[in-house]
Amino acid sequence: MRKLVALVTAIVVIPASVATAADLDELLERSHEASYSAEQIISCNTPDGLRDAVVRLAQDGVDIWIGSTASGDVEVAAGSGGWTLLRGGDTVSSASVGTGERADDPLYSVEDEAAFLFLGRSATTYNLVRDGVLRAKLAFDQETGAMVNVTTFLEDGTAYCQRRFISFDSAAPDLASVTPIEGETLRQLEGVPTTLPEAIAGFDRLDLYLDDDGSTFAYYSDGFFSFAVFETPTTVSLPDGIAVQVGESVYERSFTAGQATYVWETRVGGMALVGDLPPDLHESVLAALPESEAPGLLRRLWRSLFG
Amino acid sequence: MTHPSEQISAYLDGELHGKELNGLLEHLSGCGRCSAEMEEIQNVRAAVRSLPVLELPDGVVPDADAAVLPMRRNRGLWVGAAAAMVALVIAVAAIVTPPPTAVSVDDLSSRFGARVSLDPAFSPAKVVVPELNVVSE
Repeated sequence: MRKLVALVTAIVVIPASVATAADLDELLERSHEASYSAEQIISCNTPDGLRDAVVRLAQDGVDIWIGSTASGDVEVAAGSGGWTLLRGGDTVSSASVGTGERADDPLYSVEDEAAFLFLGRSATTYNLVRDGVLRAKLAFDQETGAMVNVTTFLEDGTAYCQRRFISFDSAAPDLASVTPIEGETLRQLEGVPTTLPEAIAGFDRLDLYLDDDGSTFAYYSDGFFSFAVFETPTTVSLPDGIAVQVGESVYERSFTAGQATYVWETRVGGMALVGDLPPDLHESVLAALPESEAPGLLRRLWRSLFG
Repeated sequence: MTHPSEQISAYLDGELHGKELNGLLEHLSGCGRCSAEMEEIQNVRAAVRSLPVLELPDGVVPDADAAVLPMRRNRGLWVGAAAAMVALVIAVAAIVTPPPTAVSVDDLSSRFGARVSLDPAFSPAKVVVPELNVVSE
C-alpha cells in the first residue's frame, strides 16, 4: 500500500520530462493563431530603470490589434508581415515584409510542464531553457492556446521582463474595422554581400531586406528572442537615448517595455539594433557587428552639406 | 563739315598739342558754331568754379581716409582672411551640426514589428509599441 501511495505521489508531483524544440514550435504556433481579447501589463527591469506599460490586445488568428489603455488615439495593427502604427486614426509609420524564414533549429528545450489556474482558467506553464540557462517561463491558456503570461530571465536568473494578462476574454474579437496594413513591401535580398554576420551569439540571420531609402536590415532569431540590425546611409536619431559604453564602444541606447534599441555611427553611415533579447546578451551581439566609429571630418562635412 | 567737339574739350583741358592744336585753332577761326560752343563750355566751367567750397563738420565721415587706404593697400590680405573665415565657419558647422537624419526609430520599430509578425513567437510575448509605454519614474 505504501508503495502504491508513493507511486501515485510521484506521478502527481514530478513534472513532465524534458520536451523537444519541436514542442516549443507547436506551442508558439498555437499561440500565434489564437483568438481572444485581453489587457496585458508589461514590466521590464532594464539596466536604465523600470519600463512598464498596459496595453489592450485583440488577436484573431495571425492578426493582432494593440491599443493603449492610457491613450485611446494610439494603436497598432499587425500580422502576416505587416505593421501599421496609427495616431488619431492617421498612419504614423508602417512597414511590410512579404516572406520570412523560420529558425531551423531553435536552441531551446521545454522543461517542467505544470498545470495551474490563471485568471480562473486552466493554463499550463513551461520553462524555456537555452544552453542550460532558464530564459523564460511561458504560460498558455489551455482552451485557446494564447500565451497569457511570460517571464524572461537574465543569465544569472534575475527576471528581466514580465508580460501578464490582467483580463482575458476567449471570444474571437471583431477586427474587421482594423486599418489594413499599409506601405510598400520591403524586398528580400538573397546572395547579396553584407557586413552583417550569418550568426551572432546563437542568433541566426534568417533574412535580409532592402528599403527604398537605401537602408538594409537583417532579422536574427534564436527561436524565441529576436532582433533586427539596420544599416542606413545616414544616422538614426534616438529620442531619449542615452550614451552608454558596451564593451569597447559607445552607443546611444533606449529601453521601452520589452524592447531595446541601440544606434551608432560607422564610417559609412548609421546602424541600429532593435529587439527583445535580454540585456546580458547585448554585449556579445554588438561586438559581432560593425563597430561604432565616428566618421572623419570630410565625411561629416559632406553629410552636413549634402546629406 | 565735321565739328570737333571732343577736341574743344581737350583743348580746354590743356591736352591738345602740335598739329592737332594748330588744326583746331585754324578751324575755330573759320567756324562760328564751334567758337560759340567753346565759349559756352568755358562759361559753364567758370560757373562751377565760382561755387563756394563747403567744409564737412568733423565726425561726419570719421577717419574715412585712414580706413579706406589701408584696405586698398592690403586688399589681397583681406580677401584671403575672409575666405579663411568662411572655410572655418563651414568646418565648425560641419562638426557641430548633427548630420541629416533619414530614418526615424518609429520606422525601424515598424520594420522590426512587420518582420516579427511572421515569427511563430509573435504573440503577446513580442508585442512592443514604444508610444504606448508608460515609463515609471
